[in-house]
Amino acid sequence: MASDGSHSFWPIPADAPAKDDLSRCVHCGLCVNACPTYAITGLETESPRGRIYLARAVDEGHIPLTAAVQGHWDLCLQCRACEAVCPSGVPYGRLMEHVRAQVAAKPPTGGKMRRLRRFGLRNVVARPRVLAAAVWPVRLWAAFPLRGLLRRSGLLRKLGRLGVIESQLPARLGRPFRPGDATPAANPGSAPIVLFTGCIMGEVFGDVHRATARVLTRAGFAVEATVGQGCCGALSAHDGDLEFARGLARDNIDALERTSPATIVNNSAGCGTALKEYGDLLAGDPGYADRARQFSARVKDFSEVVAAAGIPAGRFAKRVTYQDPCHLAHAQRVRNQPRALLGALAGISVVETPGGDMCCGAAGLYSLVQPAMSASLRTRKAEQFKKFAPEVIVTANPGCQMQYEAAVCEAGIQARVMHLAEVLDEATGGGRTD
Amino acid sequence: MTTRRELLAGLSAIAGAANVLWRHEDLIVYEFDGTIEKKLPYAVVFPDGAEQVAAVVRLCNALGFAITPRGAGTGLSGGAVPAQRGVVIATARMRRILEVDPVDRVAVVEPGAPNIQLTEAAAEHGLFYAPDPSSQKACTIGGNVAENAGGPHCLALGVTTNHVLGIEVVTADGEIVWLGGRTMDAPGYDLRGGFIGSEGTLGVVTKVVVRLLPVPESVVTLLGIFNSVEEASVTVGAIISSGLIPAAIEMMDRVTLQAAEAGLQCGYPADAGAVLLVEFDGIPEVIESQATAARAACFEAGASEVRVARDAAERERLWKGRKGAIGALGRIAPNYYILDGVVPRSRLVTVMAGVDEIVSRYGLQVANVFHAGDGNLHPCVVFDERVPGTLERVLAAGAEIMKVCVDAGGSLTGEHGVGYEKNKFMPWLYSEVDLENMGRIRAVFGNHGRFNPCKLLPAGSGCGEMAHNDAAMRAAGPDAYV
Repeated sequence: MASDGSHSFWPIPADAPAKDDLSRCVHCGLCVNACPTYAITGLETESPRGRIYLARAVDEGHIPLTAAVQGHWDLCLQCRACEAVCPSGVPYGRLMEHVRAQVAAKPPTGGKMRRLRRFGLRNVVARPRVLAAAVWPVRLWAAFPLRGLLRRSGLLRKLGRLGVIESQLPARLGRPFRPGDATPAANPGSAPIVLFTGCIMGEVFGDVHRATARVLTRAGFAVEATVGQGCCGALSAHDGDLEFARGLARDNIDALERTSPATIVNNSAGCGTALKEYGDLLAGDPGYADRARQFSARVKDFSEVVAAAGIPAGRFAKRVTYQDPCHLAHAQRVRNQPRALLGALAGISVVETPGGDMCCGAAGLYSLVQPAMSASLRTRKAEQFKKFAPEVIVTANPGCQMQYEAAVCEAGIQARVMHLAEVLDEATGGGRTD
Repeated sequence: MTTRRELLAGLSAIAGAANVLWRHEDLIVYEFDGTIEKKLPYAVVFPDGAEQVAAVVRLCNALGFAITPRGAGTGLSGGAVPAQRGVVIATARMRRILEVDPVDRVAVVEPGAPNIQLTEAAAEHGLFYAPDPSSQKACTIGGNVAENAGGPHCLALGVTTNHVLGIEVVTADGEIVWLGGRTMDAPGYDLRGGFIGSEGTLGVVTKVVVRLLPVPESVVTLLGIFNSVEEASVTVGAIISSGLIPAAIEMMDRVTLQAAEAGLQCGYPADAGAVLLVEFDGIPEVIESQATAARAACFEAGASEVRVARDAAERERLWKGRKGAIGALGRIAPNYYILDGVVPRSRLVTVMAGVDEIVSRYGLQVANVFHAGDGNLHPCVVFDERVPGTLERVLAAGAEIMKVCVDAGGSLTGEHGVGYEKNKFMPWLYSEVDLENMGRIRAVFGNHGRFNPCKLLPAGSGCGEMAHNDAAMRAAGPDAYV
């Protein structure tokens, strides 16, 4: 066995899933129904318990890492719903990242797609200028006058993966918001706070950043989008590119350390989780381990910050439903604050839909990598939206927002998809700088 | 014997190739349930209803393969472990709630529906399904029927058999029959009662008609905090003998409390020796006076504190810890061996002391979490199977604990089932004639030894190797596997 370090069945022993993490699972099965892919398939192989068991079997040399095993791990959304319900505290998210690192090192199947994905994550997503250039034609397309017509014709759905992206695009992409961009003037005596801008979030959802900055300003903060920060590395880590994710983490720590002790605020649940776990990611790096832990301790979600600080009374006379982003609810365990903030608005009616905290199937790049499973999960949401007919669907993560755009289309209802920050902004004065 | 290839072709013809698993890597996750035993099946099949189940059963019988039914695989007696390999029939594709009738107060569900989904569907009508095993978020109604599952709230309301009116089953020889019906007290022999709790040895459940109860008007939940298990045990006796009938009385000892609190943050005092979770439900005025009496009983036995859940959220938090307690033991060690003895309430104190003595003699650690009101103990021995020789010690200690329970006038199982470990202890409870009669019931349903073999009754040949060989193989290391 590999426990003595003398032998490992994994391609990169240095990033092997930890024995202690694996052996924590006592296969009690309490997680299986929390798992979206188990809910759809009913298969133990597509359950958290099954995936952990497979990892343990590979780790102990009972089975080789075959294409079938890889398939079961690849179908995992990494939503971490299982982690939130696990009584044993199996750190499933961490386990799966390490398992993915092994697959990425020596994929039994689909190596070409994987290399392409890694190339894209390293050279497009993580490079602000390249990403901006790549998003530019998308921005043009989103505003194309005939887009609606083409969409209704059904032609776009025949475009495969491109069609998936198209269906998720909002009607209008706002101006980008990048590090160093202007933020509202703060009231005297405001506490400084750092807005984490991320990669796709800043390019595609610049309006959400501006709304976030306005709400934070009203909550009594002096917002700064510090220059030098970049991609958080979550997508790379989920893909098993831990080395690259560590590099991005070090860059962000270097860039934002001088703003300490200001809170680092996030409006993207996926980034927030990654930043909160830098301490874990860099635990083995002697030069950064302590700094990473201190960094992570400063990170908060937008809703945590605003709920604690308070904002002026607002009004939002709409029927809304809040859909938990997985990484906010399951990884960061932030569930109450967004609901409390919405519930406090005058005139609002908040409906809870069954499965509101189950993954929508966006899951980072998942909708592109596993389009069929992603679509099944989106359809579950669309069915609930049809049944409950909300006027506004509120969430707090860019991927989810895009998936709900597609779900609204699928449900055939008229509903706006908004980020929590946009709702709070509209409710408390909107774009005016007051 | 037929080749595995023929078997797979036959299964695929019945259920469709997409609904048959056969690769080693896919089968390996079906080799276990919530227990420590494992055995790899040759195939797993997912039929979509009674007709397909019947066809699979007839096929396996004709080809001579053993059959093991499986729900969610959360069982705690190895009921879903395919002891003689063969075919696992999984109910995962039969998981619809077919009907909830608020007037007749019944629901009709497929066997693969999780217990929690039935409860949620019933809640829309102000009703609930009483048996609430700790694994209710995952475990299936079919599995509940097979094991006659219980749960904390079975103290006042009874176990699965008290809430199932009728079942459609595919018998071990492949016939589709209905046992019981939509109303209580079907005339004739109670075959429904005989089937419930048969641990998947008589057939596969394909539809279940359950009784639903109205949600109680109000609930009060107390958490009594004690210095020792003994004080808590005395309290249980005092509450019951004073004539109170709580909806539930649950006990957790120090080891369990610490694991549950670490894993689930439910507000348990981590330094307590034991806690009792006591719940009353019914009319507000009545349960208030009952709760006051129970509180007094706690203090009289030496409780240091008694908390009352202020609202539904707090009550849910207290129960969350109890229901996740077993899984939380993974924080202490990677394996657990959970026992399910029943003892008369009057013997709780002495039996608990006996359990302590046994595990310390074997150099093991035990966590206790159980349905104290029913005298249904769950000593849970925590260990690491990778340490050579540990598993054998655990099994030996488990056997001694079961003996203590039986000697105290108790039983081998309260709700988890007899399964494959405790079947050899059945002669402690039953005479040879008793056991022979039970064996004849199997024959009535067409089980001639290949339907969920090696479970419930003392096993015949071909079963002995299950525990021993596998333990030896594990001890020999990974290279000896497969």
